[in-house]
Amino acid sequence: MMPLVAASFLDLLGYQFFQYALVGGSVATLACAWIGLFLVLRKESMLVDGIAHTAFGGIAMGFFLGVTPLVPALIISIFAVLAITYMRRGGLAQSDSAIAVMLALGFSTGLIIISLAGGFNVELFSYLFGSILTISLTDLELIAGLSIFIILFMTIFYKELLALTFDEESSRLTGIPVEALSLAFNLIVAVTIVVTIKIIGIILVVALIVIPALSALQFRVSFRKTMLAAVIVGVVSMVSGLFLSAVYNVATSGIIVFTAVGIFLVSAVYNRLG
Amino acid sequence: MGQPSLSGQSAVGDLVLEVESLNVSRGGALVVEDASFSIRRKDYVGIVGPNGGGKTTLLLAILGMIPKQSGAIRLFGEPIESFSAWEKVAYVSQNAINFDPSFPLTVKELVALGRVNRRNLGRRLDKGEWEEVERAIEFMGMVDLSGRRVGELSGGQKQRAFVAKALVRNPEVIFLDEPVAGVDAATQEKFYQKMSDLNGRMGITILIVSHDLAAVFCRMSKVICVNREVNVSDIRPGQDPNSILRKAYGEHFHFVFHEHKCEGEFR
Repeated sequence: MMPLVAASFLDLLGYQFFQYALVGGSVATLACAWIGLFLVLRKESMLVDGIAHTAFGGIAMGFFLGVTPLVPALIISIFAVLAITYMRRGGLAQSDSAIAVMLALGFSTGLIIISLAGGFNVELFSYLFGSILTISLTDLELIAGLSIFIILFMTIFYKELLALTFDEESSRLTGIPVEALSLAFNLIVAVTIVVTIKIIGIILVVALIVIPALSALQFRVSFRKTMLAAVIVGVVSMVSGLFLSAVYNVATSGIIVFTAVGIFLVSAVYNRLG
Repeated sequence: MGQPSLSGQSAVGDLVLEVESLNVSRGGALVVEDASFSIRRKDYVGIVGPNGGGKTTLLLAILGMIPKQSGAIRLFGEPIESFSAWEKVAYVSQNAINFDPSFPLTVKELVALGRVNRRNLGRRLDKGEWEEVERAIEFMGMVDLSGRRVGELSGGQKQRAFVAKALVRNPEVIFLDEPVAGVDAATQEKFYQKMSDLNGRMGITILIVSHDLAAVFCRMSKVICVNREVNVSDIRPGQDPNSILRKAYGEHFHFVFHEHKCEGEFR
């Protein structure tokens, strides 16, 4: 990361790397916060952590094969979602155990590949802990394109997703394709995670997805407003985290998560007092 | 809510539900044994019987939510296995109100979910559909509460909200599983009044699992007694309910029923 201790907030906006970070970070966070609310309400937050760690195997594979790591990561994550769904439906394992199996399998795949390739390198670390300030134009295009795809999907199937999140059983009775939509949603989750890995890293992806939703839930408002609040909390954490980390030259991912947790604490206090 | 079309219905078309020699097992035990009955359009049916007698099981089997062991079920003349016109059927489960109270959803948003179906997949509800939502909320007397979160409502209010959610689909038949359990007597009475309106004015067929025998015998047209065996009787004025109820509740059961009270309190 570049030393920017002296930079003022406005100066930062003049740097291209910072503009990329702002745009990429904001659209990805918007997608994260939105799907995050549904995941939290479905009590499936851990799916995020599971898929993110599984994606590690794909990232390592990317380095090994010399291709853009996010591509094999995406393929492996989608495979993980399908495997988890299959295990759950086939009665092989409960949701949480199925996620644990895929998490462990994906992460071990990564470790084995890395040992074959001769050990960790700096770039691999950037996927573990995120490197939003160093994203390239290609990264930005990929992140923005996929985020727009995610946002479109969520806009189109908003009411169906809400219906099956609230009550899967009675949604089935109304003829909504519950299984297909659940699977599609989980695949969207996989895409979101892979998009976000470059930004905040495998280990902290879960924070960007879960914390904005949790903060928004503290306000005790309608679903529509909760969704809006989650998105705002996410984007505000991202943007202010970016500025703070650039000015004080500390780990961007860490500061973004700290800002998000700070907002969560304030909303929790508001909830208790309100 | 729109009036269901009643024109051009033959006698056969009047059959909403037919059950023939139905056996249902749960956990290896026979819970519903050899049930046979039929429900016609505009019937107002109370399903009664002791706890654990199989009322909910019977309902779930009719809706195809649990497998039957043998026998036949037909909804609107169609075998349950191939029935697809689910938009005609509404169901409020016993557990409907046991949702996560922190779920962020207003009454209006909840009722609108009842309008989500296969035909409007992937598009927003249109103006007409939102008007149906408003009408269902109004019918259940919840206009003042429509912006409130469902998790903050009392038990009785939650029930009304879920019935509004069921009604917004303009169903032809509605199944309610103990809709007013744990609610005070006055609220229960108001609820049954609403259901009578729905049945009488809108011509909707209603089946209610209920412990309130007075409400069943004062208001409804048919009673299904379930205690593994299933007995179905029409309710007629001047009849002694105990002759019907003892089949399910046992020989020593005595229900003190003052039919004259129905006039004052119930109509």
